[in-house]
Amino acid sequence: MMPQSRPEALDSAYTHVDPLQQSGEQRTKFPQHTQPLGSFQAQAADMLQCQWNCVDDDDIDLPLAISDDETGEMLHRVEPIVYSGAAFETMQLITTGEDDSAPEADIEEDEDIRDEALHQIEGLVLSFMTQLVASLPASGAYSQIASKKGGYKKIALRLADRRKEPTTSDLNMRTLEMPRGARGASARPFAQLFRTLDLMHKALTDDIPTTKRDMYYKDVELFGSQSTVDSLVDDLAATFQIGRADLNVRASSKGLVCGAGLRLHLHSGEILAVSDSEPILIPPSEDIERFEVDSNLAWVLVVEKEAVFQTLCRLRLGTHHALPGNGLVVTGKGYPDVATRQLVKTLSANLPEQIPILGLVDGDAYGIDILSVYKYGSMRMRHEQEQLAAERVQWLGLWSSELAGLGIERDALIPITKYDEKKARVLLKRKSTPPHWRRELQHMLFTRRKAEIEILEALRSPTRPAEAAEAGGIRAAEAGNPGIPLLRYLSAKISTACMEAARREP
Amino acid sequence: MSLAFLHAHDGAEPHSDAVWGVSWTPTDTVVSISADGSIKQWDSISGQVSRARAPHTLGLVSLSVDPSGKHALYNTLEGLTCLWDLEDGEVKGTHESYARTGGESTEPSWSVSLNPKGGTYASTGGSGNVTIHSAEPGSFGERRATLTSGRSKFGLYCKHSPDGSRVAMSSEAGQIYIFDLASNSLQTTYSSHAMAVRSLAWSEDSNLLLSASEDKRLILHDVRVSPSGKPGSGAVATLSGHSSWVLSTDISLDGRLAVSASADKTIKVWDIGARAAVSTVQDNGEVWSVSWRPKPPAHGTAGAFVSGGEDGVVRWWRSAGAG
Repeated sequence: MMPQSRPEALDSAYTHVDPLQQSGEQRTKFPQHTQPLGSFQAQAADMLQCQWNCVDDDDIDLPLAISDDETGEMLHRVEPIVYSGAAFETMQLITTGEDDSAPEADIEEDEDIRDEALHQIEGLVLSFMTQLVASLPASGAYSQIASKKGGYKKIALRLADRRKEPTTSDLNMRTLEMPRGARGASARPFAQLFRTLDLMHKALTDDIPTTKRDMYYKDVELFGSQSTVDSLVDDLAATFQIGRADLNVRASSKGLVCGAGLRLHLHSGEILAVSDSEPILIPPSEDIERFEVDSNLAWVLVVEKEAVFQTLCRLRLGTHHALPGNGLVVTGKGYPDVATRQLVKTLSANLPEQIPILGLVDGDAYGIDILSVYKYGSMRMRHEQEQLAAERVQWLGLWSSELAGLGIERDALIPITKYDEKKARVLLKRKSTPPHWRRELQHMLFTRRKAEIEILEALRSPTRPAEAAEAGGIRAAEAGNPGIPLLRYLSAKISTACMEAARREP
Repeated sequence: MSLAFLHAHDGAEPHSDAVWGVSWTPTDTVVSISADGSIKQWDSISGQVSRARAPHTLGLVSLSVDPSGKHALYNTLEGLTCLWDLEDGEVKGTHESYARTGGESTEPSWSVSLNPKGGTYASTGGSGNVTIHSAEPGSFGERRATLTSGRSKFGLYCKHSPDGSRVAMSSEAGQIYIFDLASNSLQTTYSSHAMAVRSLAWSEDSNLLLSASEDKRLILHDVRVSPSGKPGSGAVATLSGHSSWVLSTDISLDGRLAVSASADKTIKVWDIGARAAVSTVQDNGEVWSVSWRPKPPAHGTAGAFVSGGEDGVVRWWRSAGAG
């Protein structure tokens, strides 16, 4: 296991724990459980405060001004990429400048994290129980007293609200209250929260990792939907200011990768070789010990839709002769999960500048939003943003402005929906959206049409397909196969991107 | 009379993105709005910019100039509507149509049109209704009335009739609605198109309405209101010839010619009486907007018009007959 950095800037209850400090004194620095009631409550509230830089709701400005100092958070280190092949040096990975500690320190580190996670969980539960005790009516009072809801003090637990933008100096919190004014049982959100805490606590004490999916299936009736568990786990991670993996909840994988030139060495000893015929599931980064990249890797393509990914995989795009070299094709199947984003981030942070990282998304608001998740991070995972934003991702296509040049009729474009419109407006409001993306979004809103990748299939087939294909660098024999217009489009654009990347100063 | 049209000259400095609207004003200047967020006023003889506003963050999607040429009303992509005084260059009113005002339901405006009689302007939006707003400086943007079309399709374009008695609105689904402003009610609905109608043009006598549609056609509608109250006969002619969406149209002051701009990169001039195209000019890219010079043409000529398109250039065209 790799050393982790410690969260800083948590006032009061926790003092900064130096990772390299080996003494057992660290344990005593955590607050004792034998505190008087009142002050513990106050401490619980304090624990959840933190200083985040904040901007207005309407003033979203990714990448955010959350420096390492503020959150001190780090997920898993970006692993070293080892180049195979003659005369290649090992590349040092980009981290926050930690040194490799001795193995004993590692183990102690993990224990510290586990302790902290356990402590946070227990603290939250204790806070609830003390509030519960405090709000009960005095013993001895019976039903002579009309039990109006107003007679009871409300119990409130505060969790991080990942949906809202951070505002000045206050971590955005949402409050779970009991009893609620709203309809429906007040106890349910609490029950869901505590079940989640229970499962996480068990995972930490038993040292057996669990996944969000596992947790959901432990009590489907209580949770109702997978997303409830997902939100709670991430909210708790944000509230406690530790990574989800530190709570011993592993990510399940959704993303796929195919192509050639990458081998993943897992901690378990297994080596996953990315192949260009069969896609493999992208394992969560906590499982990956190191990456091994071939020297002839020339490009990386990130694809929005699984269907397009499968087509490209079938066409063996990764090793296709029409392209300037071997490449990787990655898909997150829509909005990418953390494991996929971590993979793209690792590649973005470690591959040389000559290798372009390109995104193929629909020319609609959702496609652009997905691209911005890869490139800038997402609202919900803001607290782990630094480790997930892949700055180098470029938008390869599909642009609605290039369709005319490709010979695609305007009528072939699909009308936008109300959701596209809403999403596009949100994206246009964000200052982080690059100018080219803004032009495309404006164009989309003005014409009220969007360009989905499937539209390339509607390209007029040339009168002599074999020759045209030959001209596009594709063998005549393949010319009749489906996906050929897409292939032609990609081979042209990826080649251009590689040439441009090669021209840039290394 | 020669009906060939020639390229006269271009605007001195192009917009940095597509030109989405142009209007040739009665004071012989041209106002243009662009996707780059700016609005410019040009001198028609020299092609120089005489006045401009600092660009907005989002593109400008709609433009309406009053009959005197003194005011230009424009609207941005997000729904910020502004009234710009063309004489002194000041902004006389702004309205954030996207702002949620507690009580009444509001929607961001899309297309806007100044009432030729002054005092109000109309806007369309996603709800399919036309909203009448105050255009007075003190109360600019305040809702005065909502005209419901009965359908909730996106309202792409609206324009008042020159006599100020009615306002026409066209939708993304192809319908054209005419509202009577005296009673604030729907007067007629035309379903001549089955695809989006992007632009409408009234004849100066308010009797004809020409619609430009994504179905590549323009349809001429007789919209005379007879004394008995019966509406005119509706669609009377179809002008075909464009090979892609028709994006904009205008009818000349004397009502004899119509001009249309298309995504097929051409501009066509049509003889309304003969219901036929008389001239086609080739442009560099999709042409988003076109506007006649609002003056009777010199003897022996057919007039002049201005166009704006994807390449960001404002372009003047004149009839070949002119010296």
